[in-house]
Amino acid sequence: MRRMLFLILFELKKILNRKKALLFLLALNVVPLVASLGLLVAYVKFKGFGFGEIQFSVLYEVVQGLFTAHFKLFAFIAPFFLALVVGDSFSTELGRGYMKTLLLTPVRRWQVISAKTMAIMLFLLLAVSLGGFFLQCDLLVARSLTQPTGLLSNDLLPGGLSTQIDKPLNLVSTSSAAQLLTMTFLANLMLIGFFIVFALFFESAILMTFTSLSVLMGVHTFFLIATNFLNKIDVWYDQAAKWCFTRHLDELFSINTINSILDGRASLMTDHVFAAWTAAFAWAVLFYAIAVLLFSRRQILH
Amino acid sequence: MTDNQPAIKVDNLVKFFGRKQILKGLGFNVPLNTIAGFLGPNGAGKTTTLRVLLGLIPNAQGQVSLLGHQIPACRTAALEEIGAVVENPAFIESLNAYENLYWFGSLYKPLTRERILEVIEMVGLKDATWQRFGTFSTGMKQRLGVAFGILHRPRLLILDEPTSGMDPAGRVHMREILTRIHQQDSTSIFLSSHLLDEIQRLCNYVVIINDGKTVKEGYVSELLSDHHEKWEIRVSDEDAVKAREVITALPGSPASIAQGPRGLILTMAVGQSAFVNAELVKAGVRVNAIIPLEASLEETFIKLTGNGDSSGGGT
Repeated sequence: MRRMLFLILFELKKILNRKKALLFLLALNVVPLVASLGLLVAYVKFKGFGFGEIQFSVLYEVVQGLFTAHFKLFAFIAPFFLALVVGDSFSTELGRGYMKTLLLTPVRRWQVISAKTMAIMLFLLLAVSLGGFFLQCDLLVARSLTQPTGLLSNDLLPGGLSTQIDKPLNLVSTSSAAQLLTMTFLANLMLIGFFIVFALFFESAILMTFTSLSVLMGVHTFFLIATNFLNKIDVWYDQAAKWCFTRHLDELFSINTINSILDGRASLMTDHVFAAWTAAFAWAVLFYAIAVLLFSRRQILH
Repeated sequence: MTDNQPAIKVDNLVKFFGRKQILKGLGFNVPLNTIAGFLGPNGAGKTTTLRVLLGLIPNAQGQVSLLGHQIPACRTAALEEIGAVVENPAFIESLNAYENLYWFGSLYKPLTRERILEVIEMVGLKDATWQRFGTFSTGMKQRLGVAFGILHRPRLLILDEPTSGMDPAGRVHMREILTRIHQQDSTSIFLSSHLLDEIQRLCNYVVIINDGKTVKEGYVSELLSDHHEKWEIRVSDEDAVKAREVITALPGSPASIAQGPRGLILTMAVGQSAFVNAELVKAGVRVNAIIPLEASLEETFIKLTGNGDSSGGGT
């Protein structure tokens, strides 16, 4: 147990030691970071001009759009970086011989896979929660600006604000933001599993990234074609499309789902969202099992 | 765990890479408390054997046990008592020597800072303790590999060509380190190499393999005593012909006489040298010197692996 914890720490250290990791964190959180800046600018400007109904609705739109944009962008960028991180943790180590040194110590192979997976998960959690943290800060500031009973004291707010608002605007609640973050995490868990299975066949992170992303896109393209065109020729295509695991990503990150969670009309427990993320989680477990099986038979030659 | 249990027991080991058979029923026993050398020409399957021993690759057939633990079933239990380096030691380039030993070594058992620094000093890397592994020279990498192997005071140390890429001074130092570990911690050492003088100076037990099969195994002293002693008799050029005649005429004459660069080289049964010398002096040959030529593993090795006649079996 102690050894396992140590191994996870070691893997986390290795991930954070790379410059790629820093880039990963920055790139994924570019929306929250820029948005925070934008909000600051808006606050300063609004303070100068004074608040009115129009400004409130603008602010509302900004924060609402910010969340949607962040999750869309996260869902789009994360696979690229995740593939690289997984590739570094598995392919590069296989190629450079770190894995050999690791396996000369008394650790079991499933422990190595699990520790690496856990470390990548923790890193992803860090990336997600960092974005979440910034967005939450934005949210709190925006809420304070638009609601009389906000966090900021009345002295800090532009003059006359508390008298102008009769009914508070329906901004993003903290719980729906947390639900979106959880959703992002679960969806990416499936991708991690998928990438690990690929990474075990390659000894170069770049090659592994290109191949696995190509396959990912291939699967998704098949899904789109099969559900939109080919199913009109033969129902069999509908059956085949059900097994395209990428469709769960589509379901989770559709604008509809994101918006309905933001508005509080849906939650993680709502039928179709629940089905999507449990399916994604099941795929993640399946990929992990395949990876453990593959790795237990892999020859470590370098 | 009894003391007469062999440190390494390999039986009928078979391994294929694709369709090519690398190990063809390899089997040997290495007793505890020895420094054992693992010899074989290039491509004989030395590294493959070590990889199978340490559970890095699966074998098709055969049994392997290290210190009484079956491999691969009890691999982790065995590895807790074993330090090993296979091929080039690979550590993380962006970490320094100390960090590499700390992170990798702590997977064996918790380590103190003193122990890590002690081992680093022991292998002669004190100046490079805080230097990144990526900037190390080949010799330094090998030293760090050995340091990693001995960090947790294993009962058995398995090394793959520990002195390759080292300068002569480094080799002498490495021999000293290994001898010291062997004596202090009574660690059994099993090292593969194709540098024969290296093995001869360090090891007291050898396993010689060729083409995936064990050719010979045993204590070095026993292995060498199978053969005749070799002596160089230094005589002046005028006396050389006469000496040759005298020796050939001797009853029970030596196995062979060859012309060396500065005298004759005789190969004869053990204990005959004094007799030959006396006969030479009696015959009036002025013997300048009679020098024992140390029997070398090299001859035994070449004889056993059949590398002398190049068309052997290995192709």
